[in-house]
Amino acid sequence: MLSPERRPSMAERRPSFFSFTQNPSPLVVPHLAGIEDPLPATTPDKVDVLIAGTGMVESVLAAALAWQGSNVLHIDKNDYYGDTSATLTVDQIKRWVNEVNEGSVSCYKNAKLYVSTLIGSGKYSSRDFGIDLSPKILFAKSDLLSILIKSRVHQYLEFQSLSNFHTYENDCFEKLTNTKQEIFTDQNLPLMTKRNLMKFIKFVLNWEAQTEIWQPYAERTMSDFLVEKFKLEKPQVFELIFSIGLCYDLNVKVPEALQRIRRYLTSFDVYGPFPALCSKYGGPGELSQGFCRSAAVGGATYKLNEKLVSFNPTTKVATFQDGSKVEVSEKVIISPTQAPKDSKHVPQQQHQVHRLTCIVENPCTEWFNEGESAAMVVFPPGSLKSGNKEVVQAFILGAGSEICPEGTIVWYLSTTEQGPRAEMDIDAALEAMEMALLRESSSGLENDEEIVQLTGNGHTIVNSVKLGQSFKEYVPRERLQFLFKLYYTQYTSTPPFGVVNSSFFDVNQDLEKKYIPGASDNGVIYTTMPSAEISYDEVVTAAKVLYEKIVGSDDDFFDLDFEDEDEIQASGVANAEQFENAIDDDDDVNMEGSGEFVGEMEI
Amino acid sequence: MNTSVTSIKLVLLGEAAVGKSSIVLRFVSNDFAENKEPTIGAAFLTQRVTINEHTVKFEIWDTAGQERFASLAPMYYRNAQAALVVYDVTKPQSFIKARHWVKELHEQASKDIIIALVGNKIDMLQEGGERKVAREEGEKLAEEKGLLFFETSAKTGENVNDVFLGIGEKIPLKTAEEQNSASNERESNNQRVDLNAANDGTSANSACSC
Ligand SMILES: Nc1nc2c(ncn2[C@@H]2O[C@H](COP(=O)(O)OP(=O)(O)O)[C@@H](O)[C@H]2O)c(=O)[nH]1
Ligand SMILES: [Mg+2]
Repeated sequence: MLSPERRPSMAERRPSFFSFTQNPSPLVVPHLAGIEDPLPATTPDKVDVLIAGTGMVESVLAAALAWQGSNVLHIDKNDYYGDTSATLTVDQIKRWVNEVNEGSVSCYKNAKLYVSTLIGSGKYSSRDFGIDLSPKILFAKSDLLSILIKSRVHQYLEFQSLSNFHTYENDCFEKLTNTKQEIFTDQNLPLMTKRNLMKFIKFVLNWEAQTEIWQPYAERTMSDFLVEKFKLEKPQVFELIFSIGLCYDLNVKVPEALQRIRRYLTSFDVYGPFPALCSKYGGPGELSQGFCRSAAVGGATYKLNEKLVSFNPTTKVATFQDGSKVEVSEKVIISPTQAPKDSKHVPQQQHQVHRLTCIVENPCTEWFNEGESAAMVVFPPGSLKSGNKEVVQAFILGAGSEICPEGTIVWYLSTTEQGPRAEMDIDAALEAMEMALLRESSSGLENDEEIVQLTGNGHTIVNSVKLGQSFKEYVPRERLQFLFKLYYTQYTSTPPFGVVNSSFFDVNQDLEKKYIPGASDNGVIYTTMPSAEISYDEVVTAAKVLYEKIVGSDDDFFDLDFEDEDEIQASGVANAEQFENAIDDDDDVNMEGSGEFVGEMEI
Repeated sequence: MNTSVTSIKLVLLGEAAVGKSSIVLRFVSNDFAENKEPTIGAAFLTQRVTINEHTVKFEIWDTAGQERFASLAPMYYRNAQAALVVYDVTKPQSFIKARHWVKELHEQASKDIIIALVGNKIDMLQEGGERKVAREEGEKLAEEKGLLFFETSAKTGENVNDVFLGIGEKIPLKTAEEQNSASNERESNNQRVDLNAANDGTSANSACSC
């Protein structure tokens, strides 16, 4: 349903150069930003929407608005794309750290950096590395993935599979307390446990409909639910909640956990025997560049090195640091990091995400599935020396991802623990990884062979590798060479599992009532900082909510229909639509395909 | 039918308003070779050219205007196999910028990128416009840096096709097989995932070798 306030679409607002719907025959040359009409050499005097900050949410929003037909001016105070989602070189990180510590980058604190002399003046150059400020993985069945396909932004990018999700347990990288109970992957798993697991998996794929099963536990923890209702034991419970669900602690509520476990399972085998993907050359930094390019093609104007100084909600004029001005007819959208001086409406960013990013001189290929260069390692609560209460997640990327040179690897550690404990937990996790890696590289340990085939085509669901088992007592002789260590605390308004809700963006929307005299940001809307979430799940939700605020409805959010005669792309689009249908219901994933997949898991 | 198709990512660089987009428009909308209409993808314009029985598929990345306020992204140059660095023969400033872009490409892009330096808008010289960048200056820069060199008019179409043919010819014929085997290797090593090839039975195009 189109709401009455809905702004006209691109087709309605702009004389059509070529109508796709009327005539799907060969295109000649499309109406393109800068191809049909030369672009003006100055920034526009008047735009529909001004967006400050080129992070993921802002970039997806810019592309959505540009293709919808809005006139967008998209700026960033930095000289690079990405803002809170940037992928940076080592030199850029050095500058960023200085800015954080000078207090000129809001929402980040306590940045500590070590860079080996081997980078810059030695073996490696700053540009050999691409470090993400908030690394993410892309689930194979997710909103963002379908938008990447629809918008064709995926054509600017390369994706690689991520199949290894390790769990660290028992003060060692022994896979689990008792390897005999390794979830799914062990033939010695008691029949009863396997049955219970399968029962749970069948349930979780269609959990919402089965309220009678989970409702009674809706306010209780997921571990209670798994133990009481499905008679699962600790190793399975941990693997389900932390490795598969990627949850942050044991208090996770049942619906959230179910949704996250299902995310993994329905993503599995969409493109192959793995649930997630990583983009090459960098994560969200790379994706935001792709969406910005798409927005530019759709007509948005880009200007880096441009800082908003103030917005006047009465005259609707935004003023920039270089003295230029623009009249904004609809909305001004700003990332909290780009807030002008004297801003008074920046939402409180009360949740901390602690991050440690290391570059290690060691290929660490033992941790990757064959041919891959990415892995997740999860440290569940209580698994570390520090007695961690929250999970520490370590996302590992190798040279194959082109974010670091051959022979090196990047570890992205993060935790949702708050306060000084967080750093202790992260340090403990780092030490555990370091020890495990040294044992690994010295022993040449083979991956475990015991794997139960679960799907019809011989793929396993969980391909967890036992790291360094039985080398618990081994004391390594060598030390690991760290090329780079970056510690920082990031602040966000989105709690772990927090769903971005529309009312958040209403902070400034009660018009004049909330204007503060002297504030430079009256009448602007702030976006959210990235949360601790390791997947891109929050991005589309946030962009969509903002889109609706601006356009009046989200009906035509990325309602693109690129038709062309390139056979390959045409079939790609058909496929994208299919795919879209499958996940259209958002939380209510179509179970047809997945049902089959469960059916084949004969025990 | 010729089965060996080499795909080339080609990027355009140069000061705003030198005619980059016009050159592309001229190239893709001309009756060129025995070719069909250009195909339009959301990501880039594509145009196939057949040179000596060998088909070169240009994936042309225009700047989409992002160069106007110095906002090109690193993603833009990445893995480009060819680049047109364009200047306006009537604007000396644009030639200075061209030098800058050549330098930038040598730093940022792949080592063996083929670069064509293109002095555009030569039609203006016939119409009383004054030449501000001598042909020799362009030739000299091209020679120094190992670039192809052309002077073109996107308006009349003069020399535009030659730019792309020239680049196509510099891609050695054997590159096709090399590229195929190289990219196959890359796929098996790096597990590149094609997002259009989901396993839900809808993608019958897994055999495509574009
Ligand atoms: N006379 C003449 N004008 C040209 C030529 N090429 C482009 N133009 C004009 O120069 C302006 C800028 O061209 P455009 O292709 O948008 O430049 P871009 O910013 O580099 O993409 C437009 O007004 C074009 O019509 C040419 O060869 N001769
Ligand atoms: Mg242009």
